[in-house]
Amino acid sequence: MTFKEKILRFNWALFLPMVALIAIGTVAIWSSGNAREALFHGMWKNHVSSAVFALVVYFVLAFTDWRSIVRWWAPPAYVISLLMLIAVLFAGSEVYGGKRWLWFFQPSEIGKLCVLVFLAYLIMLWAEMREASSPLALEADDGHSRAPGSFGVFTVAAAAAGIPALLILAEPDLGTTLALVPAVIVMLVAAKIWRKGLFALLAAGAVGASLVLGAVYEAEKPGQSAERREAILKLVPLKPHQVKRVKTFLFQDSDPMGAGYNARQALIAIASGSKHGRGIGKGETNRLKYLPPSVSMNDFIFCVWAEETGFDGCLALIALFAVLCSAGAWTAWRAKELEGRALALGITTLVFAHAYINIAMSVGMLPITGLPLPFISSGRTFLVTAVSGLGIVQSISIHNQETA
Amino acid sequence: MSDDERLAGAGGRTGDFTCLVVAVLILAGFAALAVRLKEIQLDSSATITLDGARQSVRRVRIPGERGRIVARDGTVLAMNRPTRRILLNPAAFQKQTWGATATNILEAVGAVAKYVGRPSPLDFDDVARHMRLKLARPIVAWSDVSDEELARFSEASDELTGFFCDEAWHRMYPAGPLAAHVLGYVGREATAGDAGDSKYNFTDFDMRGRSGLEDRYDSFLKGVSGEKKITVDARGFARKEWVVSEPLKGPDLVVTLDMAMQREAERQLEGVKGACVALDPRNGDILAMASSPGYDPNDFVPAIPRKLYDRLSHDPGKPLLNRAALGSYAPGSTFKPITALAGLSCGISPRATHLCTGAYTIGEMRIRCSRTWGHGDLDLAHALKESCNPYFCDMGVKAGTNVLMRTAKIFGLGSKTGIDYSAEAAGVVPDDEWKRAHWGERWYPGDLPQMSIGQGMLLVSPLQMARVAGALGTGRLVRPHFKAGEDTHAEALPFPKWQLDAVRAGMRMVVDGGTGRRGGENLSVKVAGKTGTAEVGRGATRRKNTWFIAYAPAENPTVAIALIVENGESGGGTAAPRVREILKARFGENEVAASSVLRVGELGWLGYMCSQMLAISQNSQLSQFSQLSQLSQLSQPRQ
Repeated sequence: MTFKEKILRFNWALFLPMVALIAIGTVAIWSSGNAREALFHGMWKNHVSSAVFALVVYFVLAFTDWRSIVRWWAPPAYVISLLMLIAVLFAGSEVYGGKRWLWFFQPSEIGKLCVLVFLAYLIMLWAEMREASSPLALEADDGHSRAPGSFGVFTVAAAAAGIPALLILAEPDLGTTLALVPAVIVMLVAAKIWRKGLFALLAAGAVGASLVLGAVYEAEKPGQSAERREAILKLVPLKPHQVKRVKTFLFQDSDPMGAGYNARQALIAIASGSKHGRGIGKGETNRLKYLPPSVSMNDFIFCVWAEETGFDGCLALIALFAVLCSAGAWTAWRAKELEGRALALGITTLVFAHAYINIAMSVGMLPITGLPLPFISSGRTFLVTAVSGLGIVQSISIHNQETA
Repeated sequence: MSDDERLAGAGGRTGDFTCLVVAVLILAGFAALAVRLKEIQLDSSATITLDGARQSVRRVRIPGERGRIVARDGTVLAMNRPTRRILLNPAAFQKQTWGATATNILEAVGAVAKYVGRPSPLDFDDVARHMRLKLARPIVAWSDVSDEELARFSEASDELTGFFCDEAWHRMYPAGPLAAHVLGYVGREATAGDAGDSKYNFTDFDMRGRSGLEDRYDSFLKGVSGEKKITVDARGFARKEWVVSEPLKGPDLVVTLDMAMQREAERQLEGVKGACVALDPRNGDILAMASSPGYDPNDFVPAIPRKLYDRLSHDPGKPLLNRAALGSYAPGSTFKPITALAGLSCGISPRATHLCTGAYTIGEMRIRCSRTWGHGDLDLAHALKESCNPYFCDMGVKAGTNVLMRTAKIFGLGSKTGIDYSAEAAGVVPDDEWKRAHWGERWYPGDLPQMSIGQGMLLVSPLQMARVAGALGTGRLVRPHFKAGEDTHAEALPFPKWQLDAVRAGMRMVVDGGTGRRGGENLSVKVAGKTGTAEVGRGATRRKNTWFIAYAPAENPTVAIALIVENGESGGGTAAPRVREILKARFGENEVAASSVLRVGELGWLGYMCSQMLAISQNSQLSQFSQLSQLSQLSQPRQ
């Protein structure tokens, strides 16, 4: 495929919404930064410069055949990210009670993408093994390289995804791990790896989550005795601060000045945007710092945008994400190879999971979890990671016809 | 492994159920978010936004300019003096911690002090307290900024971010101590919500009446407050403010004081402890109210220094006490007209005489008369004129306790006058019950004659006695008031005219050659009055409080006055001449007498003695004029 052909095959639906979202992010960060000390007034420039760098990476990845990326880049990238994830636990700098930073970036963000690409690599290997052990190939082969079973692949994949996930969880960064899980599951399902078991696991997970929610509700509901509360919480596999978050999610007015403060201010900011918003740079909740400045640029950036542009702006933002994710799913649909389909779907799910969890917690549909909003939240590592991820999806879209 | 899977794995087929499911789930997720956003941003936006406004909007009361207090003749007694202040906005000096912010503010103030030219009185505690209580409001760094200081500040103000200048009002009493007790004083309004203003979070600098008319008419003078709203950020610093409603200036309070009389009353009380009240007995207008010693209410603005306040409040002369309304004194002989009316209403004839032998004896008690050898036979008018004790002891005893006390109460003694002033004393009209409750003793027979001559447990205020004087003159007891244009409240006395006339005749004679003759000398109007010399304390602390009550003109009174001097000599010698001067300020002197005749006061003590003897020998039948012309003839050779 010539370069000109590649350009002609370029999927704009996978690109333009992303650029628009980055623009939205720049505006929101500008507004949020202006509410803070002078040091933060130029944060939007960082976002733009990171975006420029990320777009360069995007185009490099988009015009490189994804097959070679998966085949040649995935294993070293995975190993390096594993090493970084280990390193950050020892040498990372601590911010807000978690060791997430190594030098100038967050390994966990890069790690997520590396895990997905590495899973694609495993799926590719498995497909090739089955190819080799297929009845057509039997004659050429004596059967030594018989492909492993579906459950075997699942174990390997689960380990491959599980190890970095556990490392990220150890930082601790629950949100990032949470966003990774659906992406991994979707990839395994798309690759038809141990589907029955996966569905059973999913069901078990859903039941488990409801049990935890129910238990916290039972323990924290008003009028509950202290002893019973202790007894119930002992059975819940959550840390005290997580219990508090779940509690403020379940009982939204329980502690407006304490644990529920952020959630309440987020709700006020979004609601005061009303239909058309207060105008760019005029969000009072943000400007008067009721929305805590420490998170308004990252986890709660959606509130800044919602307050200043209102329902109109929010719908536009969600529509952009929806177009982007649909384009990702469409790319997966068209993908010829199983690993390409799985990877496109996985990355799409990763972006969706971030966007959904972030916005859902801002509007009070989920407990507060620290998770950035892709393309919009300030944070170079994640911006570059998310854009790179879409670059790979673009590559899958462009290089759909050419077989390896 | 089925063919199906193998083919898919080999990329033989596009499309997949998984992709569809994932796409549907993703879109459903976003749709759910959109629905939730519609709920928050469109359906319940108003209520949640209001919740947000509640946490960020503060209400500030802007006090209206306080109304002035002016006398009816236009003399300004209390007004507002504009004062310039230099303030700073704490939000401009924010630092990471509260302590650092306060230090930063103080450093900035120190830097600005170089331009202003004097150090600010602010210290760390002041700033810290302000930040704790009124963080959203500016801090006053300098008040009473002079023109030069302001000029220097303005020149540099471009560099001085966070500082600004404004104008505030300070209360000022242009006449200083004049009528200080009447006006009272103002103090700083403590905090917002102090006066039940829970509607506001903050109040800008405001003064509040703390005593006197400033207190009584506080809400009248205050006007209508305006309102400002400010938005504060999460830490409490002000970010934006806008005026919701402008304040309205309070109306001026016009008081009924006659400034000439007021000035004269204060001059007459200079150097002594005492009080004076003059009122118009026709309608209750207070014409003068003075109490001595006094103070300068300007010292209380904007806040009185602790030391000065301690000195004033611990001064044995009690300069802060308004003796005119709050003093309680034995009325002494000024009570005798009331005893007279009690007796007359019991059927005693004003022409009936009583033989004064120089003392009145009841049981073992002897009440002496002012003239040791006795007045001889006296009727009512002459008994009043000479202020004969035995006559009135006898009259009181004949009338009885019940009638006497009821008569005293008819004149408003023992209860508040209802004056529009911050406080007043009710005084005491005792009876058996009262004595048992307060003294733990029963009512002895000797108490009644004591009461009849205004001694014993009776307590009255000068204000009450001025009212009594007026009531004697007009036959109507008025409710006194300061505010001009108030409706007249008056009660007619339940005595027939002939009884009142009998007492009036006696009171006229008091001034016309009697004990109070110095109270009406050379005045253009005739005065009727009654002297009083009340003895208080016993032994070493025994002293005399000297009274004079009067009304004038005698035929148709327009002024009623009561004056008391503590530790005086006698009512006629100490109080009456002072009243005469005050009445002179109102009515002027007798033109003939003033131009051609020397006054008694200028004759020296020898001349005074002569005049006394003359007055006694002539039995006061001569007119004032002839009396004085004789006196002047007598004194001519000496000059």
